[in-house]
Amino acid sequence: MKTFEEKWTAWVDGQLTGEELEEFKAALPDLATAELEREDSLKLGNLLREKIGVRAMTNEEFFHHQLRTAIEQDARETAPLARPETKVRETWWSIGRLAWTGAASLAVFAVLSFFVLRDSNVGGQSTYLTQIINARVDPAVSPNATISIFETKEDRVTVVWVDGLQSLPSEYAAK
Amino acid sequence: MPTEATPAPAEISDADLVQQCQAGETAAFDQLVGRYRTRVFGMIYNMVHSEQDAWDLAQDSFLKAWKSIGRFRGQSSFYTWVYRIVMNVTIDWLRKKQVKGTGAEFDDAIQLKEIDPASRTAPKAGALPHERMQDKEIRARIDAAIEQLSPDHRAVIIMKELEDMQYHEIAETLGCSIGTVMSRLFYARKKLQNILRDVYENV
Repeated sequence: MKTFEEKWTAWVDGQLTGEELEEFKAALPDLATAELEREDSLKLGNLLREKIGVRAMTNEEFFHHQLRTAIEQDARETAPLARPETKVRETWWSIGRLAWTGAASLAVFAVLSFFVLRDSNVGGQSTYLTQIINARVDPAVSPNATISIFETKEDRVTVVWVDGLQSLPSEYAAK
Repeated sequence: MPTEATPAPAEISDADLVQQCQAGETAAFDQLVGRYRTRVFGMIYNMVHSEQDAWDLAQDSFLKAWKSIGRFRGQSSFYTWVYRIVMNVTIDWLRKKQVKGTGAEFDDAIQLKEIDPASRTAPKAGALPHERMQDKEIRARIDAAIEQLSPDHRAVIIMKELEDMQYHEIAETLGCSIGTVMSRLFYARKKLQNILRDVYENV
C-alpha cells in the first residue's frame, strides 16, 4: 500500500497510470490545485536541470597527482601490516600436522609408560620375602628363633637371616 | 543507473581496467579516475557547494574505491559502484558537518512540520529580487535552497533531477526502500518549491 507521498511523487514523475492514477485523482480534495502543484514540481525540475550545470574541476592534473600520492602512501602504510600476518600464517601448524604430532606424542608416552611400569614391578617386594616376614615362628617349636632382615633396595637384594629355628614352617617347606 | 562515459572503441573497457586494478595496477586506476573525476567532482559539488570540500571528498571517494576495489565483483558498472561510494562519503561528511554546526536546517522533523503537502497556499520565501535574475544569482539561490535540505534529501533530489536516475537505482545507491526514496523526493521538492517558487516562476 503506497502512502500519499509515494503516490504524489509517482504522479509528478508520470509513473502513476491506469486505475491507480484515476483512484489517486479521485481522492484529491482539490484536483485543480494539485495540478498546479504538480506543474510547480516540473518547473522546479527544469530549473534545476537548466541552472545547475556540471561544475568543471580545475587543475585536474594536480588532482591526479594528489590521489596517486595518497594511494602510494596507503600502500606503504598497509604493506608492513600485511607482512607479519603472512609470517604468522606460515608458522601456524596445519590441523594435519597437529594431529600427527599429537598421535606421535601419545605413542611415545605409551612406550615410556610400559617400560617404567615394568621396571617398578621388577623392583617391588618379592613374594618370597613376604612369605618369610609373614611366616610365624611357633614359640613352642622354636623358642629361641630370631629373624633378621637385611635389605639393599639399590641392589634389589634382601637377606633374611633366621637363627635358632628348630624346623621350617610346613607351608614354606612345601614351596 | 547513471550513464557511463562510453569508452572509444580502441579504449580498454572499464571491466578490464578494474581487473588490472585488482591485480595491483595503479596505472589502470589512473585511467578510471581520468574517465570519471569530472563527473564525480561535479556531483559532489552540487551536494556540498564548496570547491575545496568537493575536491577533498572526491579524493576520499576515489581512495576508498581503490582500497575496496578488490571486493568489486562486477555486478554493476564501475561508475555505479563508485557513485555509491561517492554518495555515502558525501552524505556522511554532510551529517558530520551538521553535527558540528547548528544543523537545524537539516532536521527532517522540522521539515515535516514546516511543509504542508498542499503548499501552494504557503507563503513565498522572501520577496522577488528582480524580474530577470542573472544566472549566477539564480545559481546562488538554488545552492542556498539545496543547502537547507537534509543530506538524504539533497541526495535524492540530485540523483533524480540531475542524474535522471530511477527510483530503484536511487534506493540501491542509498541502501533504502523505493518508498523511502519517493517520500524523500516528495518533501525535498516541496521544500525547494517553497523556497524557489519566485525563481522558477520568473525565469
